[in-house]
Amino acid sequence: MRPLAQAAAAAALLAAGCTDAHAHARAVCVLVDVSGTYADQRHEVIRVVKSGLLPHLRPGDSLVVIRVGDHGYTKDSVVATATLDDQPSHANAQKMELAGKLDRFAAADLRERHTDLSGAILLAAEYLRASHAGRKSMVVFSDMLEELPRGAQRTLGPGELAGVDVVALNVKRLAADQNDPAAYRRRLDGWGVRLAAAKAASWTVVLDPSDLASRLEEP
Amino acid sequence: MHGLLLWPDRPALSLLVLWAVSQLLLYAARVPMHRVLRKLGTALGGAFRLAARWLRSAAEELRRRNREVLLESGRADAETRLEREFQRLATTFTADLKAYPALHRRLDESVKRVEEDLAASSLTPPTAPGWPEAVQAVASIPKAGDRTVQKVLDEIHRSAQVQEKKALQEWREAVAKRHGILAASAARWKVVHGLLEQVNRTVSGVLAASGRIDGYMDTYQKIQRGENAAERVLAVSAIELFVVSLFVVAVAGFGGFVNFQLIARPMSELVPGGAWVLGMPVSTIAALVIVLMEVAAGIFVMETLGVTHLFPRIGALSPSRRRVIFGVALAGLFLLASIEASLAILREQLLEADKALALALAGESARGAVTVAAPLLSRIPTIGQAVMGFVLPWILAMIAVPLEMLVQSGRHVIGRALVLVLQGGSGFLRIVGHVARQALGALVHAYDIWIIVPLQAERLARGRGDADRNELGPATLRNPAEQTAPSFRAPR
Repeated sequence: MRPLAQAAAAAALLAAGCTDAHAHARAVCVLVDVSGTYADQRHEVIRVVKSGLLPHLRPGDSLVVIRVGDHGYTKDSVVATATLDDQPSHANAQKMELAGKLDRFAAADLRERHTDLSGAILLAAEYLRASHAGRKSMVVFSDMLEELPRGAQRTLGPGELAGVDVVALNVKRLAADQNDPAAYRRRLDGWGVRLAAAKAASWTVVLDPSDLASRLEEP
Repeated sequence: MHGLLLWPDRPALSLLVLWAVSQLLLYAARVPMHRVLRKLGTALGGAFRLAARWLRSAAEELRRRNREVLLESGRADAETRLEREFQRLATTFTADLKAYPALHRRLDESVKRVEEDLAASSLTPPTAPGWPEAVQAVASIPKAGDRTVQKVLDEIHRSAQVQEKKALQEWREAVAKRHGILAASAARWKVVHGLLEQVNRTVSGVLAASGRIDGYMDTYQKIQRGENAAERVLAVSAIELFVVSLFVVAVAGFGGFVNFQLIARPMSELVPGGAWVLGMPVSTIAALVIVLMEVAAGIFVMETLGVTHLFPRIGALSPSRRRVIFGVALAGLFLLASIEASLAILREQLLEADKALALALAGESARGAVTVAAPLLSRIPTIGQAVMGFVLPWILAMIAVPLEMLVQSGRHVIGRALVLVLQGGSGFLRIVGHVARQALGALVHAYDIWIIVPLQAERLARGRGDADRNELGPATLRNPAEQTAPSFRAPR
């Protein structure tokens, strides 16, 4: 009886030590602005994603690329999505496939009038929640100037971005920002307040794209 | 602080009133407060002293057990060495004694032949006849005038000369024969010399072995008697063994880490699993298990060879069964080494694929292709990793020996460290107890210093009262504080 109890205790300990792979996986949502002046940056954005983000994704990680345009909160905005296979070689093949999709996206003739950034953030938040990943990140490539289409209502509810690290990369300075740099800073600070209200884990503005991988790796 | 003031706008008055109230209250509570502090000091000091005593007795008990274990292990070790020495001696004796009749016969024969040779060479050779004198005598005879006589004399002279030559020849031949016998005898002397050297070597070996046995017996007897010197020697030896084996095990640990790194990446390809155990993916666990299995196989090989004795049950098995286990463990080790070698090759290929992917994603595939090393050079890391993958498991298998040494000596070293910790803790608690007692004693005095004004007033009042009662004059008053000062026992 005693050995049985010991075996049961050992099994319970082992079971307690076992965790689902999702808890250790990482989910990254990339929002790419295709409106206004930022539409010209698409090639550069895809280059950064391909060279600075894709190689650093590990088996089991998820990547979703969402277009930020007139209608951010629609499934049509999703450019590419994939959860990498547990087998590294299969994961590499998936990365190549993703890279192809991103290349096609970069080559497409896209330029939209509005910038539904909040809608895209809401959509990305849903994808991130659905991934059940242990670590969730959102990378935004935009000038962070929101221009919603008429009639669109966008509210980031409290807890919408709970546990999500938000990184703004390559934030383009607009012509108005050249005249008043404070406006640029106010715009970013405003987003910081909104994201904090949505319980985002962190909000960082990264200037150097080569820092992207290290930022995402940070605990 | 501000809240304590009775009249915040008049802090001086407030503080004065507070001081006066405290004087009154503390003076009134002086005796019970002294008792409380005294009791507290005694209780704290006693508790710390008891704890210190318990730690000291625990340390003593542990030291005694350590000593017993150390002496017991030293005794077992000395017995093993003695047994091994006796076995060696018995083996040598058996072999030498077996060869001794033949050796004795050869020696006897050689001596007999030498004796015969000596006897043969001692025979007196035929003495050379006195032909020279005869020839000289004949030659010195004056020549007669008679021709016939002269002719006879010449004939005699010639004949004498011939006989002389013949006798000399015979004598020379006899001497040469004796020399021949003696020359042949020299080889037999050499044989005798060689045989005697052989005997000398055997006897020297036996003497050396008996000297070693004497030394071991001496050590064994000292251990049996439980002498402190023997314990010290054993303790030093155990610590040395612990340090050396710890170093070797640490080196082997680093080897194991390299081994693990070599197979971790390809294992993720072979064991793709979603589950994580204890914060590690299953593939990492699998790689770790392979490394540990190599160590386990190595331990079994060493056990079955009799090099280590970690598992007494294996040592108690029959030789045939041990051979079976040895074969299985060796085959397992070979299999694991082969698997590791192949995984190491796979690792290199995967790393190259990863590099190619990174270059392709960065849009630099063309440049990457140009910078690829020559085929011969590019194979060197692959071959090197494969060799490492095959060799490292065999090196890891050797860990059983230092591991056993570490386990054996670690028991004593850890026990000794625990004794030191307990003794240190005991000393620390004694100091803390002493400090607590003295601090509370000082607190009693500090208490009296705070209420020095009412105390001095009391002293003056008592002095006057005593002077009224005592005609001889005022009594020598002691400081009330001294009267109530706690009388703590001195620390032991």
